Amino acid sequence: MKLPSLTLIATLFILVFLTAPLFILIVQSFTAEAHLRFPPESFGTRWYGYIFQSEPWREAGLRSLLVAGIVAPGALVIGTMAALGLDRGPGFGRNGLYALLIAPMVLPHLVLALGMLHVALSMGLEDTLLAIVLGHLTIAVPYVVVTVGASLQSVDRMQEEAARSLGANDWNVFRHVIFPAIRPGVLGGAIFAFIASFDEFIVTFFLATFQNTLPLQIFSTLSFQVEPSIAAASTLVLVGTALLTALILTQGQVVASGKIVK
Amino acid sequence: MLGSEDGSWKAWLLLLPVAAVYAATFVVPLGLIFGLSLAEFDAGVVTPGFDLSNYEAALTDGLTLPILWRTVELAAMVTIGAAVMGYPVALQMRRSGPVLRTVILALIVAPLLTSVIVRNVAWLLVLGRTGFINETLMATGLISRPLPLMYNNFGVALATLHVYLTFAALPIYAALVSIDRRIEESAASLGASPSAVFWRVTFPLSRSGLIAGCSLVFILSMGLYLTPAIMGGSFVVTTPMLITDLARNQYNWPLASAVSVLLLLAIGLILMATMSLQRRRG
Repeated sequence: MKLPSLTLIATLFILVFLTAPLFILIVQSFTAEAHLRFPPESFGTRWYGYIFQSEPWREAGLRSLLVAGIVAPGALVIGTMAALGLDRGPGFGRNGLYALLIAPMVLPHLVLALGMLHVALSMGLEDTLLAIVLGHLTIAVPYVVVTVGASLQSVDRMQEEAARSLGANDWNVFRHVIFPAIRPGVLGGAIFAFIASFDEFIVTFFLATFQNTLPLQIFSTLSFQVEPSIAAASTLVLVGTALLTALILTQGQVVASGKIVK
Repeated sequence: MLGSEDGSWKAWLLLLPVAAVYAATFVVPLGLIFGLSLAEFDAGVVTPGFDLSNYEAALTDGLTLPILWRTVELAAMVTIGAAVMGYPVALQMRRSGPVLRTVILALIVAPLLTSVIVRNVAWLLVLGRTGFINETLMATGLISRPLPLMYNNFGVALATLHVYLTFAALPIYAALVSIDRRIEESAASLGASPSAVFWRVTFPLSRSGLIAGCSLVFILSMGLYLTPAIMGGSFVVTTPMLITDLARNQYNWPLASAVSVLLLLAIGLILMATMSLQRRRG
């Protein structure tokens, strides 16, 4: 029984490694000092007030929300259609197509970004919201394909058959039979897509000149100095994504308990 | 379109929207990069053609290859770290009861959903000159001068490991839970010690997950721009940073494209190596 305790100690150490920096970030974001130094000598919400009043920070935050708010539903529709098409299409070529669809997940985003800027420049679309949204769609769609594709495996084909024999058309079969079965995957995919867009740096970095998003604003502020505003903005993003993560986890539990009931 | 019997070609019509988006933002851009890498570049003017001079320049300038090598080295450091840290966590998850397993899983997956730049900023506050570690060690009198924890390979590798550890832990966990416990039990009942069971049964059976996780971490680490740029400053230059500099500051798109193709080739080689590793074990 020596090995189990060893893995438990290692696991605790690794969990500290994963979470401790984020706690330090949160503590630091409440500094009332002009500079980041650990530990802060006085605490306050000074820098939160600052980023909400500062035009560049506010604009960047709103733009990030706007882009992710367009990209997530867009990726959801496109990705769900693709996953469905792949699931129902010919078995021949399915694996190759799937690999192609999720390729943007593992290809260096930098190389895609370089090519995207070239396309955008030749079409006069550089530094436009349209180019940024299209670029982010390609980054976000694979997450939807993966999550929806996985949950499509649990669709009961007999129920589809029954609905069809009772006269339901494709749309009604999708709405009343397929969609309820894949809902958890769809929600998970939407959240992943939102975060993928909200977090995307390099594609926006290449496509945007003045259209700063939040990651770009953090990055460009960093290159001047490590101002406490960066910690405050980062903490806000952290809290937002933590809430979304909690949503996925509770949804996952709903799915799990649903399976037990079944 | 959604015909209940598989194999209807019409179902592929549902792929049209994704095909349109990918064409504009994935297929054509990659094609353009290959095309540009073969174009001529002279005094800021790009002439399309079929010319290997960009590759020749990249391979002989004494800069591109050492940077690519450093990128591979860094990715290898991150991969080793991810395997060494990801394996015990996966093992612990498999051994734990449902509650502890869910807690560990949540803490492992949560960083995946946390913004990369936010996590890099967090490490900046831990490893920086006036960061958590240095200030704590100075206050306790253990060191008199701040330790150089970032703007070097160490800081870049550590922050990248934090970003990608999950990608190693999850495939290892998936491989571990698919092992039939009866095989381990029969090894133990035949007199194998716990460590012999682990090294001769459990570990070999989990190798496919380990290899899959490692290759994923390796590939992702090689293409990452943000973390080396933040944690390394200008002191740790990796291939993605070189490409960005060539394209954005020097406007040498053909050379930037050629280096991009070299990066893709390096990534392809690593993928092929791991695939042959997977195949060799059957």
